[in-house]
Amino acid sequence: MSQATAHLLKRDFGLAFRQLRREFRLSEYMVLIFALVLSVAAVTSVGFFANRVEGAMAAQAATLIAADATVSAPTPIKQTVLDRALADELNTAAVVEFPSVVLTEDGETSLVSVKAVGAQYPLRGEVKLSAELYGPERIATTAPPSGTVWIDPRLAGALQVATGDSLSLGDSEVEISALVAFEPDRSADVFQMAPRLMMNVDDLASSGLLGEGSRAKYRLLVAGAKDSVDSFTGWVNDTDDPSLRLQTIEQGRPEVQSALVNARRFLGLAAAVAVLLSAAAVSLAARQIAERDMNTGSLMRTFGASARTVVRVVVIRLVIIAFMATLIGSAIGFIAQFGLSALLGQWFSAELPPPTLTPLIGGLSCAVLALAGFCLPSVIRAVDTPVLRVLRRDLPMAKPSTVVALACALAALGVLLIWLTRDWKLGLLLLLGMLIVMAVLIVISRALVALSVRVKSNYLRRGLESLRRRPESVSLQIAAFSVGLLAILLLTIVRNDVLGAWQKQVPDDAPNFFLVNIQPQEVESVQQFLTDRGVSSNALYPMIRARLESINDVAVADIEFDNGHSERFAQRDYNLSYLAEERQDNRLIEGDWWSGDVQKTYFSVEEDFASDLNLEIGDALQFRIADKVVVGEVKNLREVQWESFAVNFFVVGTPFGLSDKPSSFVSSVYVPGNQGEFVRDMVSEFGGVTVLEIGALLERVSGIIDRAALAVQYVFLFTLVAGVLVLWASVLASRRERFREAAILRTLGASRQYLASSTTREFALIGLLAGLIASTVAAIIAWLIIEHVMELPYEFNGWLWLVGVLAGVAGVLIAGKLATRPVLRQLPIAVLQSQV
Amino acid sequence: MLIIDACAVCKRVPTGEGELTLLDKVDLKLSPSEALAIVGPSGSGKSTLLGVLAGLDSATEGTVSLLGQPLHELDEDGRAAVRAGAVGFVFQSFQLLPGLSALENVMLPLELANLPDAKSRARHQLVEVGLESRLNHLPAQLSGGEQQRVAVARAFVATPKVLFADEPTGNLDRATGDKIVDLMFRLRAEHNTALVLVTHDQTLAGRCDRVLSMQDGKLT
Repeated sequence: MSQATAHLLKRDFGLAFRQLRREFRLSEYMVLIFALVLSVAAVTSVGFFANRVEGAMAAQAATLIAADATVSAPTPIKQTVLDRALADELNTAAVVEFPSVVLTEDGETSLVSVKAVGAQYPLRGEVKLSAELYGPERIATTAPPSGTVWIDPRLAGALQVATGDSLSLGDSEVEISALVAFEPDRSADVFQMAPRLMMNVDDLASSGLLGEGSRAKYRLLVAGAKDSVDSFTGWVNDTDDPSLRLQTIEQGRPEVQSALVNARRFLGLAAAVAVLLSAAAVSLAARQIAERDMNTGSLMRTFGASARTVVRVVVIRLVIIAFMATLIGSAIGFIAQFGLSALLGQWFSAELPPPTLTPLIGGLSCAVLALAGFCLPSVIRAVDTPVLRVLRRDLPMAKPSTVVALACALAALGVLLIWLTRDWKLGLLLLLGMLIVMAVLIVISRALVALSVRVKSNYLRRGLESLRRRPESVSLQIAAFSVGLLAILLLTIVRNDVLGAWQKQVPDDAPNFFLVNIQPQEVESVQQFLTDRGVSSNALYPMIRARLESINDVAVADIEFDNGHSERFAQRDYNLSYLAEERQDNRLIEGDWWSGDVQKTYFSVEEDFASDLNLEIGDALQFRIADKVVVGEVKNLREVQWESFAVNFFVVGTPFGLSDKPSSFVSSVYVPGNQGEFVRDMVSEFGGVTVLEIGALLERVSGIIDRAALAVQYVFLFTLVAGVLVLWASVLASRRERFREAAILRTLGASRQYLASSTTREFALIGLLAGLIASTVAAIIAWLIIEHVMELPYEFNGWLWLVGVLAGVAGVLIAGKLATRPVLRQLPIAVLQSQV
Repeated sequence: MLIIDACAVCKRVPTGEGELTLLDKVDLKLSPSEALAIVGPSGSGKSTLLGVLAGLDSATEGTVSLLGQPLHELDEDGRAAVRAGAVGFVFQSFQLLPGLSALENVMLPLELANLPDAKSRARHQLVEVGLESRLNHLPAQLSGGEQQRVAVARAFVATPKVLFADEPTGNLDRATGDKIVDLMFRLRAEHNTALVLVTHDQTLAGRCDRVLSMQDGKLT
């Protein structure tokens, strides 16, 4: 940079800074800065939170899988794999995970997620234990000693047990020797229902918990020199055994990644709405600033400034504003992320590290984009205003081309949304969706304003008068405020009503327990057990773990599915079943059922499953079950009532094809009366059978949905504040007119109280309309989602309108009164002498 | 060298009903240190002529030279460069930047012309116009007369060769207006600055070396 350029920049920076120093106090600059601060805060709160989760994942890359690599399978890991690991001089540890039920000495039961571990576990990272809830932590040096277990503090709290107490686990009695404070490879599955129980893998056989066909996940952890790990993982890949799943540090934890991507996406969407509304406030404030800048620009040019100088000063001012907004907004975002971490953090990692400064780049980009898209096109026109305006104020000011302004705004919004959702298709779709929602809200607002002004009310006359004079501005205010309110009301309905409606839908005598892991030899005695207690059972169904290998001889891995969901669906493990006779609670929608003694392998496929995988009657499916392959033809498609809580399967085969395969049995039962006694007896008599209480599962799902909705709602608070800012900005746009009106009225003898009551009525009306629109649209969307998407009955609640209208009136009234306070305080003479 | 040399200057603007002639073949010359008043009724074209002579606007026809530079051959930036540091302005509505203090407003022309010691020169000029106690006040905190004093200080701070004044007392009461005019003429004499003054006020015009009248865009 030449010395002359540096000198010019220094001079222009000085000019910009000097102007800005005092302009900060002007309302339009305050709106601009608040709006940018809000956008940055919304974006960085999500950014900081995601950054902390990513930090935790990066820092614990190896400890996240407790090894350098793991091999998993639905059946015990073959000896050949273990031999290979040992040949590669790797350390190994065996892990088996499955659900079960424990019974306390007092007869309390609880579902647990059992993790049986070998002595070497974990190979990477540490298990931290404590003797009591929140007590001092120590690092475990080996697996739980034989005959003892370590349990999740959550389980200790639920069962009111402590270290030293005994639990019945399958056929064995075990002693709680510690509480698990931290577990390196804890599943990040949001839907992990049960608390952890860790036991020694050597105790598995004596516990009788696992039999042939039991639903369990077997893992072999390996760790060692990099070359050895590479050699081993290469060998596993080359074995081409589809039952084996290899996971390395580089692959990370796909479920954590996926949960993080989804969280980012949903929270990003909430932040995006706040950014959109803030951008509207920026745009409104920019018009006021541009008007001021045009006068400044004309004057500067009169004194000899070049067009470039004027532009440089304008741009430098915007850059200073962007930096300031980024700093303040990021500080707020940093504080706000603690709320998100409190709501969602536990899903990802026990301890989140402090965030890095990377989200600041996102915050700055957001501020710069919002300014470039919504402010720059207006203020840059300062340079195009005729210099002669210093002499003739009647000359028109330059106005930005609508096309250019709209293109800049859309481009900026598009980039912001794509960045916030990390998905260009979704980002553009959202942009379109948001524009449509805003347009619809503005149209509704305008229609309501048009209707309102026809109301003949002496009391509301002064409030209505304002609506009549500024219909466009008022419609924008109503639409902007109702967006935030609508989002929050809708999420409240989701939190409170959706699960309620679903639970109400479940019939009183619907099954309330699932019985899982019943061994074939236990089938008769379990049936007798149920009959003895008068428990109606939906029959016991065989369940076989399988993986889909190919469709019509094309490997599943080579098939291009319509979307990621279908692909993941096709590649996961399934539970197959077999049936001779058609079930009465399933309905055939295509094809025929087979005769009970058919000597061929056929499959009956659930309709949604078939649709996701593009399956048709006659397609050939090949499944791998342990080390065997089963091939059969799709014979029919079924409709299943999943909400009945009866045991159902995506794929059911003929007994000919599946009955000789390793299986366990599963059933769902309705237990009336003393359910605790039933569970206790069941667990005592059939140690290996897992009893899942459906009510508890529903409660857990409901808790998860509640937290997720609360987190999104939390981010939507930014949207509500942004709505207030739009209101403030649009009041500012009419400020000059308001000042003049107030001055004339006061000159003619109107009191401040008179003017204050006029604005109260105006803003109360706006709030009322915003509240009505938000409540009504929220109720309609909720009705559409619940009745038509989820097919559940929806009851309209009167409180929604009450809360919506009260919140609308209160919010708009406070914001409006604050925005118009200077109007009431201004002396009429100052206005009439045009000093405002 | 003439300060201003304008020949056959025309200014026409399109309107809905055809072209409107604002200036019609105006010839005007201004010598260094000369004070020229342009008087005439509202709408006669006085302010338009001042704008064209100062390079704030361009002529439709004719030639205008300011300080020896042919304004008619220059673009907007070129004309601004001619004004930088060499031309002062005093407007009827003061035209101070509301976000800048009195001192900062006066520093502005010096900074834009890249002239040194902007702060000390501006402070000195404000002391000259009797506003030493108002240096850091914002325009809104000053009376009309004080604001115009700041405008006068700003006009003279770069020691311009020519000052353009458009109804400088139009927004002031008689007494304050007289004081401002005295100040302006004193500084003009001290700095040897030529003056083009547009006014309705015949008494004020009478203080100039020469008075020209405008009627319907023509000098009479």
